Amino acid sequence: MRTAVSFPGPVLVRERSAAHRSLQVAGIVFLALLAVYASTLNSFRLGQLTVALLYATAIAGLNLATGYTGQLSIGHSAFFGLGAYTTGILVASHNWNPLVTLIPAAVICFATGLLVGLPALRIRGINLALVTLALGVAFPELVDRFPGLTGGQIGLNINVFQLLPPHWTGISIANRFQYYYWLSAGLLAIVLVLCATLTRSRAGLAMKATRDRETAAAAFGVNLAWTKMVVFGLSGAITGVAGSIFAIYLGSLSADASFTLTLSIVLITGLVIGGVATTLGPVIGGLAVYFVPYWTENIRQGEASELIFGVILIVLMFVMPEGLMGLITRLSRRVLRIEPQPPGQGQPTVDGGSSTVIDHHEERNTA
Amino acid sequence: MEFFLDRLFDGISNGAIYAALALALVMVYRATGTINFAQGEMALFTTYLAWGLTTKNVPVAVCLVVAAVAGFALGAVSERVLVRPIEKRSLLATLIVLLGLFSVLNASDGLIWGKGNQSMPSLFPNTLQSYVSVFGARLYWANIGVWLMVAAVFAVMFALFNKTRLGLQMRATANNRESAALAGIPVGRILMLGWGISAAIGAIAGVLVTPLTPDSLGLGEMFPLLIYASAAALFGGLDSPGGAVVAGLLLGVAEVMISAYVPAIGGQLQEAIAFVAIVAVLLLRPQGLFGTREVERV
Repeated sequence: MRTAVSFPGPVLVRERSAAHRSLQVAGIVFLALLAVYASTLNSFRLGQLTVALLYATAIAGLNLATGYTGQLSIGHSAFFGLGAYTTGILVASHNWNPLVTLIPAAVICFATGLLVGLPALRIRGINLALVTLALGVAFPELVDRFPGLTGGQIGLNINVFQLLPPHWTGISIANRFQYYYWLSAGLLAIVLVLCATLTRSRAGLAMKATRDRETAAAAFGVNLAWTKMVVFGLSGAITGVAGSIFAIYLGSLSADASFTLTLSIVLITGLVIGGVATTLGPVIGGLAVYFVPYWTENIRQGEASELIFGVILIVLMFVMPEGLMGLITRLSRRVLRIEPQPPGQGQPTVDGGSSTVIDHHEERNTA
Repeated sequence: MEFFLDRLFDGISNGAIYAALALALVMVYRATGTINFAQGEMALFTTYLAWGLTTKNVPVAVCLVVAAVAGFALGAVSERVLVRPIEKRSLLATLIVLLGLFSVLNASDGLIWGKGNQSMPSLFPNTLQSYVSVFGARLYWANIGVWLMVAAVFAVMFALFNKTRLGLQMRATANNRESAALAGIPVGRILMLGWGISAAIGAIAGVLVTPLTPDSLGLGEMFPLLIYASAAALFGGLDSPGGAVVAGLLLGVAEVMISAYVPAIGGQLQEAIAFVAIVAVLLLRPQGLFGTREVERV
């Protein structure tokens, strides 16, 4: 016998109300506690987490160009590698302070991104994807071509003493993996805030308009050329800085091992698994593309690892096209729904009695 | 002169293979509007299949046919089962599914046939002595065989596209799917056919190119070829079969000539140079050499 059970409807919270703000703060505190807890793990796990968080940062950069602006890039491995080699060369050959090298790495990657964005003014869609593919293919070849600068195929090694945590951090040499972990976690936090702010701003609207309907965006006064180029530059810079910290963590670089097209594919995969054009999707994606292959490697001595990865990828696209973050958002809407602020009402209020709920399609309430 | 001709023959052979794979890419692009990143891995899978049969003393010619048929099935099934349900969602989703297929096929090759590199027997006489002398240069029968086979494939494709009812239906579908469906063309079947033929061409290319170099059948064999082929397809114009063939041949010859005569950028930098040149061309002609200009209705 079936009885009708009436589920309580979702709790409605007005956007930017006190309740909404406290929920956001609770979420941030939870993530921060999670980060602190993770820092107590052993060095091996910390090293793994460091790389996964750097992938997450790189994916967040890719998300700006591919997710929010619709410029599919298969060449972001080159930005990651360019950042890593900028740091590697400046530290190993010119004795720079590793942390200072993040600045030139960001600048160089930004400039390269602008250059790659340039063809995007005339080339679109899949053709542009192939142009970025060219960048991804060319990068390891260029590194091998100039062994005097980059160490070529032999690789580039940084003296490990140059990469130890500085004194002001108070982290001992034995615990140096904590330093690398906090560097990557800190960078990721900054990048996420930056991306969230940017994509919710006026510029973010221009980016999404460019992605969704280019002609209409131009008609509404969006400067397509400027938007695409700057976004590509910014996207490259973020991914490049992640690469810089990757160099600081790893200490030895080899383009043929770390910065090939495979990395680009890993980044795109992570973006899609986590959720395209979502704020936290890149974090989930970065953790997934690092840890899923690692765990599946134990099955059949790793022979089946790639197979399982491919199958997971295909199945995910069929059952969860909006990615894990999209799924989480969809499920959480059944419990909690953030109502947008009605236009024209400046003051935030807690108003649960509103009769109309506008279901909006934005990814605002994910963070 | 000998040196030049030797290089030229090698270049034409490479170019013929690039052209065949580029043609396969163009066929998929015309059907579905995407680059098939798994194209190379489909070809590799069927090449392994053919190699597996040759180890059981099956004649190479039979293996070639089996590979082509298996390729056709693989392509058609992939289109129907993996691509069609996902393609209307977004370009990105389609690409990810194809990358997944790439992983699955590559890993399957390793699981079924092992990870070591293998040598593939040739369809044609393939010893050091089996060549004809052309102005002192050695033109191997294996090369001539590849040229003839690829030329035959192109001739068949040209005839199919331009002389048959089926070809007309394929062109109509590529041109405008909805109108084609309204005119009574079974669009779904045409799309499957396009992918099937494309993968069959790739399979033939794989069986032809692998014997040219000893020990070349390995898990990483096809990806570089796919990169060159996509460069060729882009150069020729993604929707132009003729463009793919011309660009593939040009790229093959240019690659060999650059590494022979311009040592400064030869060797390691070949792929990068090929791509930079093509990007430069695209800046002037975004649709490629022979492609159709994209027109948007507002």
